[in-house]
Amino acid sequence: MGFAPLAILIPLAILVPLAMLGVQRLLAPRRPDATKAAPYECGAPILGTAHPRMPIKFYVVAVLFLLFDVEVVFLFPWSVLARDLGWMGLAQMLLFLGVLEVGLLYVWRKRALEWE
Amino acid sequence: MRRSPIAHEPFITTRLGPAIDWARKNSLFPLPFGTACCAIEFMGVVSSQFDVSRFGAEVVRFSPRQADLMIVAGTVVYKMAPILRTIYAQMAEPRWVISMGVCASSGGFYDDYCTLQGIDQIVPVDVYVPGCPPSPELLLDGLLKLQKKIDEQRLLEKP
Amino acid sequence: MPNPNPDRVRGHLGEDFLADCSSHGDLVYAVHRRGHRRVLRALRDDPELRFDMLMDLTAADRMHLPQRFERFEVVYELYSLWNGWRLRLKVPVPADDPHLDSIHDVWKAANWAEREAFDMFGIRFDGHPNLKRILCHHEFVGHPLRKDYDRRRGQWCATTETLEDELQLRRAAEHRAHNGQAEPAEALTSERMLVNIGPSHPVSHGTLRVLVELEGETIKHAIPEIGYLHRGFEKSAEKGVWNNVIPYADRLNYVSALSNNVAYVKAVEKLAGVEVPDRCKFIRVILNELSRIMDHCVCNAANIVDVGALTNFWYLFSVRENIYKVLEKLTGARLTNSYTRVGGLARDLYPGFADDVRAVLKESLPYVHDVLTLVKNNRIFQERTVGVSAFSATEALSYGWTGPCLRACGVPLDARKRDGYYFYDQFNFDVPVGEKGDAYDRILVRFEEIFQSVRIIEQALDKLPGGPVDTDRNRFVLPPKQEVYRDIEPLMNHFMLVMFGTPVPPGETYDSFEVPNGELGFYIISDGSGKPYRVRVRPPCFYLYQAYPEIIEGSMVADMAAVLGSLNVVAGELDR
Repeated sequence: MGFAPLAILIPLAILVPLAMLGVQRLLAPRRPDATKAAPYECGAPILGTAHPRMPIKFYVVAVLFLLFDVEVVFLFPWSVLARDLGWMGLAQMLLFLGVLEVGLLYVWRKRALEWE
Repeated sequence: MRRSPIAHEPFITTRLGPAIDWARKNSLFPLPFGTACCAIEFMGVVSSQFDVSRFGAEVVRFSPRQADLMIVAGTVVYKMAPILRTIYAQMAEPRWVISMGVCASSGGFYDDYCTLQGIDQIVPVDVYVPGCPPSPELLLDGLLKLQKKIDEQRLLEKP
Repeated sequence: MPNPNPDRVRGHLGEDFLADCSSHGDLVYAVHRRGHRRVLRALRDDPELRFDMLMDLTAADRMHLPQRFERFEVVYELYSLWNGWRLRLKVPVPADDPHLDSIHDVWKAANWAEREAFDMFGIRFDGHPNLKRILCHHEFVGHPLRKDYDRRRGQWCATTETLEDELQLRRAAEHRAHNGQAEPAEALTSERMLVNIGPSHPVSHGTLRVLVELEGETIKHAIPEIGYLHRGFEKSAEKGVWNNVIPYADRLNYVSALSNNVAYVKAVEKLAGVEVPDRCKFIRVILNELSRIMDHCVCNAANIVDVGALTNFWYLFSVRENIYKVLEKLTGARLTNSYTRVGGLARDLYPGFADDVRAVLKESLPYVHDVLTLVKNNRIFQERTVGVSAFSATEALSYGWTGPCLRACGVPLDARKRDGYYFYDQFNFDVPVGEKGDAYDRILVRFEEIFQSVRIIEQALDKLPGGPVDTDRNRFVLPPKQEVYRDIEPLMNHFMLVMFGTPVPPGETYDSFEVPNGELGFYIISDGSGKPYRVRVRPPCFYLYQAYPEIIEGSMVADMAAVLGSLNVVAGELDR
């Protein structure tokens, strides 16, 4: 079935970062102090916080991106097997896309795609 | 201050130490703290004719968190001194400082009310590169001297 | 330089007229401080005189000079763009009560200049919105350019200013501008973020600091702070002899050091009344134009890199390296040349210089063409720079802008064409002028100026006359070394010049020169000893950068990089 690559990849994905962090724990110098831990502000004193209330448009863009990104993720497996799935598969995919495009049209009309 | 737990283990430090020093010296990430004319010569060093990339130090990072070599290129005045000190303090060990040019090394010919007479008054300097401005070959020579110094440093054994 | 009708100017001065101090071809009047504000405003608004630009505002401490009204003097250098006239007004200020009215609302350029005069001399300007130090750090005590301040007395600074006070001033001004209109419900608005884009930052091109208040990505307030490279040029210039200032002048605008050299010695030669031979003038023109090419290459390279295109940086720096080879052969140094001397040059050209320069230009021009082709019609580049920070010509003139930035706003002011010194009126070249004054225009104006500079250099090389490079005025320049080693007269001449300086007679003058960044002016006072009494640099970047908050407010953070690079603010010149 081909799960052998997965069986190699997942342990590697866990072990390699752990090994890197472990080597760093053994070998790297550690001398924390207050100035070093302070946020970097080009050397100048820090004004304001790093967590102000952000304008909502950043959130809107992020959520829309997430939605359509997931849609693209669904497109990938279909496109690999498109020939095998035939016309029926195409029709189902078009239906799926159509539902999402209605949503896109709504977002467009509601002017959520404009930045200002 | 915490010593590395394998610092006093003789076999490991004599095998691993040189290897780590070799890796560190050949992949320095400079932070060009460029203030004045020396910064232009530093830009010349990074450019294609003098190519600091041959020595592994072409990845300039302007954030102290991501750099390990601070090249102070240009005059540092008293107004700039707190900034320099803060940025040096925010660099993570291991860190080195090259003082490029006479202004950074000793104040240059600006012996007056506003110029810091040498950055070694506020940060520890590893290599001083003289010149006003130093020619790019001289800065590369300074970089090589620093690499030799890193070779001899044996950071694993230092506290 | 042509001067305005003195009677008309005198008419405006009225009863505040103190004295006529004209000299060296300049028109200079001393004005009483009770009326100088009225006088300056009248001179600006007069329909015939039209002094619409304040070129420089500075001060001098005349404590050791025999000829003076009071201890301090505030000097206003005016320029009429329309007529090409210059006028200088001096306002004496007594030491026991050093204050006078501010003129920051007459010309916007006066704002920072008055802060600097306060910082350096302690002269208070009544009515100034924010009179605090600009070049020295905030813990500094005293006023360094006063004659009783010891040059070597340094003062440490332990902290960096947070700039909150200026931020509050700005917020108050914004609130007033909105007339305190009702804001939407507090809970739903986003908070503004304060980001310090500080002196050590890749986009800041040196030691410039800006505190920005962001709403999302838009900059609502921008507060610049300068002085992080204030090295005391003007105080150091008073330490040695006239020629000793030349290395300091190199390091003003260090990307085009030779231009600064030429500008300085030109001013001193004007004060001394010395005429240099034609060959010297042609050589200075060639070197100035080579510096212009180098400066515009670096400026555009850095600017385009900030916008995101890295390849062009390598290409344009290669141009610079090629020119460096020629300059190194000629002057001995790549970057900081110190080649000119008062009365001539350090040495003559080496044989083969003309061929070398022609070869270098031929090799380097294709690089510039390549870069221009890559960016000119590039969609991404245009999106990043077209329409960004468009600046109107009237605002630019009020801020005292000169050079390529002003030309990009549509004003064809080029001192080379207007004044025609050093045979510039005999060369065939165009002055590129932009339309909107946005970042795109500035970058393209600079590219075009590179091509025009190449034209000038080629014409100058063709016409280069023979002859000496130093003036033949008696005992003004160093005699040849062979004679110094042989006879007693040249030896004594050499000794006097090196130990006691060039004999520049007492007096004062202002002279300017078109360097790559605009008009670099020098206001110099001589007391007759071989040492300069006062050397004031009129830095083009200082007046350019003052407009930066006004340009950048309302734009996005990402535009900061494109704009700051296009202004070509060099900290060495800005802070001196």
